[in-house]
This record gives sequence, structure tokens and C-alpha cells, in this order.
Amino acid sequence: MQLVQDILIIILAGYMTVDEDGPVIMSWFPVIVGMITGFIMGDLQTALVIAGTFQLMMLGVAALGGASAPNYGLATIIGAFIAIRTGTGIKSAIAVGIPVGLLGIQLEVVCRIINNFLIHYIERLNAEHKWNKMRKLSYLGPTLFFLQTALPTALIVFSGPTIVDLILKVIPKWVTDGLTVAGGMLPVGGIAMLLHYMPIKKFLPYVMIGFVIAAYMKVPVLGIAIMGLAFGYIYYVKESKNDIKNKNVATNGEEGDDYDE
Amino acid sequence: MKYKVTKNDLRRACWRWNWFCVNMFNYETQEGLGVAISLAPLLRKIYPNDDEYEKALTNHFRYFNTTPIMGNLLLGAVVAMEEKDGLKAAETIQSFKTSMMGPHAGIGDTIFWVLWPTIMGSLSGYMALQGNPLGAIVWLTVNILLYILKYWFYDVGYTSGTKLIDNLGTKLNIFTEAASIMGLTVICSLVATVVKVSTSLTFQMGKVNLALQTGVLDK
Repeated sequence: MQLVQDILIIILAGYMTVDEDGPVIMSWFPVIVGMITGFIMGDLQTALVIAGTFQLMMLGVAALGGASAPNYGLATIIGAFIAIRTGTGIKSAIAVGIPVGLLGIQLEVVCRIINNFLIHYIERLNAEHKWNKMRKLSYLGPTLFFLQTALPTALIVFSGPTIVDLILKVIPKWVTDGLTVAGGMLPVGGIAMLLHYMPIKKFLPYVMIGFVIAAYMKVPVLGIAIMGLAFGYIYYVKESKNDIKNKNVATNGEEGDDYDE
Repeated sequence: MKYKVTKNDLRRACWRWNWFCVNMFNYETQEGLGVAISLAPLLRKIYPNDDEYEKALTNHFRYFNTTPIMGNLLLGAVVAMEEKDGLKAAETIQSFKTSMMGPHAGIGDTIFWVLWPTIMGSLSGYMALQGNPLGAIVWLTVNILLYILKYWFYDVGYTSGTKLIDNLGTKLNIFTEAASIMGLTVICSLVATVVKVSTSLTFQMGKVNLALQTGVLDK
């Protein structure tokens, strides 16, 4: 039974990266990954609490334009696995998960550098007209990304709690305490970073409304999301009308445009 | 003798793009390799001649980077151009790709890579902290719907070709802004809930935060 769980966890970890870089159905979003981990490990509650913690840390951390970000998905899988298998709870999940998530950045960079060699090899195959080999070789890319998270997970899963004990013993207590504190503070940093990207000045009223409803009226976040959806919808309908009006003025009498290049 | 692209070809190309796009990511051409590999079988059908096929593929190895979901629109249009004009359009296709990937990445990253995960992340994250999987299930379901939307994007890109950018451009801009409004409302409600924690954090760093952890667990 444990072996089946181990294997499923490793496959989940590997598939997570392929999915994140591909169809984005499950991606590396901690709550979804954590929910599946919970199903596999048979303890949904613990897994969800750990996943929720990592999810909130991840807010505002988006790997844009090919940048790398800490792999909170991997952190969730390994954290939840350790917490449930050893029964040590959320503290060990964070202590083990965050270093693993940071390690995830390095591994991603390594994989992408290896792919650099792959592209040159594939271009050469194309020049030599060896397309069958080229197409077979192209599966190396996804395989590499599968291994990127599957390997470290396998290492931790098969070496089991001993390696985690070792990690927790070798790392001084102030570091693990510090990581726990950081775990509490990271969501704040994430939100601040996120607000940095957003057009706050243009939409300041909505910022205030969101704040007031949450802080003074204690509406849960789902209610606020529905309200935000309503605001967005109103804006969209209004601006679309304006846009059509503008277009009618601008393109009056320009029928039959030729779009060909 | 011209090859006519069928619906199945489009589906296959879209499927290949969505599984290969970032899975072949490298620092030199970024998603370029993914584009070439995803189009390879379809290009083989369009260019039965070996030398032409090689040239067409080489054209696609070059630098490309955009949000994968918006890449479906662009590549759909690229397929249409390859089918219609063939190698004569190689330059046009290249400039179309490079000029369009930036704006589309701007829109796509904002909506699908920042706002959507943030809104769903904060919703489902708080639900998960209370042991409620509903948020995660909803998120997963909508992601599956988004995956189906990608096939539609590819078709739209193919049927409307290059003119789609004009039609869709302003609409998408407005949609991005509307989505930002929703995002901001949600994020700022988070500010309200998180600020309470951080003020207590500044008074007694270690101890209070541990209380937060158990407090979170007890809920």
C-alpha cells in the first residue's frame, strides 16, 4: 500500500511540471496539487491545510516571460507527503517544503540549459533531413521536465523519514523557526509584489471598496470575488459600447478593408 | 497541388502545441523549439518536398515566447498563412510572430498567468486552510474548460488569419482591464485580512507567528 502511494506521489510530482509547462490543467498550483496528494495519501484535511498555506505564499509569485519562481507545487507535494506519512503536521511540512521549493528553481534552470544543447542537436538533424529521429528526440524535452521534479521527490520518498529527520537535525532550530516566520510573512510580500504590477491608480475606488467590504463588513472572500466580477462586468459592457461608438466614428466610410499582407 | 488543412490536422497541431510549448523551453529561443516541433507533422503535409520542408521548419526554430494559451491564436493564424502562401510568406510569418507575441503575452500573462491564479488562489487557498476542497475542485474544473477553449482559439486563429488581431485586440484590452478590477477587489480584501497578522508580527516576531500557525490549524 505504501509502495503504491510512493509511486503515485512520484508520478504526480513529475507530471506536475509537464502539466505546468503544457496544458495547465492541474499546473503547480498548491491547492490543486495538494488536494490530489491528499487523495493519494488518504488524509485530505492535512494536505489541504498545508496546500492552503503554500498557496497563499505563492500569491503574486508568477514566473513571467520564462523567469523561474520557487516551486511551491513541489513544496506542497513533499511537505504534505512528509507531514502525513510521519504524522508531524504542518511545521515539518514548511521546514522541508520551502527548501525543496527553492531547490526547484535550480533544477528548472539546469533543465532549461540542457535544452539549449537539445535545440542545437535538433536543428542539425533538421539540416540533415533526419526528421524521424528529430521527432523521437523531441520527447526528451518533456521527459527532462518530468524528471526535474520526479527525481528529487523519489529521493525523499524512498529515503523516507530518515532524510527528513536528518534535514531537520542538521538545520539549526533558528533556521526552521525563521522559515516558519517567513512562511507567515511571505503572503504579505506576495500581495505587495502583485499590487506592484496592477493598475492601482486607475482603479483606486475598487481597491478601497474591496478593502472596506473585507475589513469592516467581514464579507468572506467568495462574496468579494462575486462583487469584483460584477464591477468588472459593468466596466466591460460600458467600455465595449464606447469602443463601438469610437470605431463607428473612426472608420466611417472605410468599407471593404483589405487585410491581406 | 496544395494540401488542404483539415479539422483533424488543426486539432493535432493544437494538441502538440499545448503539450510541447514550454516543455521544450530553453534560454536561447525560449518556446521556439516548441513551435517547430508542434507544427512539424502538419508542415510535412503542407510541404512534401524535402528542401522546402527543411526551410519551413528552420523558419520556426527562431525565438518565440508568449503565453501558451494566446499562442494558440497566433499559431492558428500561422497555419493559415503557411497553407495559403507557403514559403513565399516565410518573412511575413516571421514578422507576424515576432510582432504579435509581445502584445499577446501582455494580455495573456495578465489574465491567465497572474489574475486568474491570484483570484482562484486566494479563494481556494482560504477555503483549503479550513479544510474545504471546493475551491480547488472549481479551479480544476475551470482549467479543464480553459483547455477546451484553447482548441477554439486555434480554430479562430486559423479561420480569421491575420485580421483577427485587429478585431480582437481592443476587446481583449477592455477584458484585461475588467479582469484587473475583479483582481484588485479580491486582492485588497486580502490586504485587509493579512494586515492584522502582520501588525502583530512586528511586535513579537517568533512567538506570535507560532500562535498564528496554531490559530490557523485550530480553525
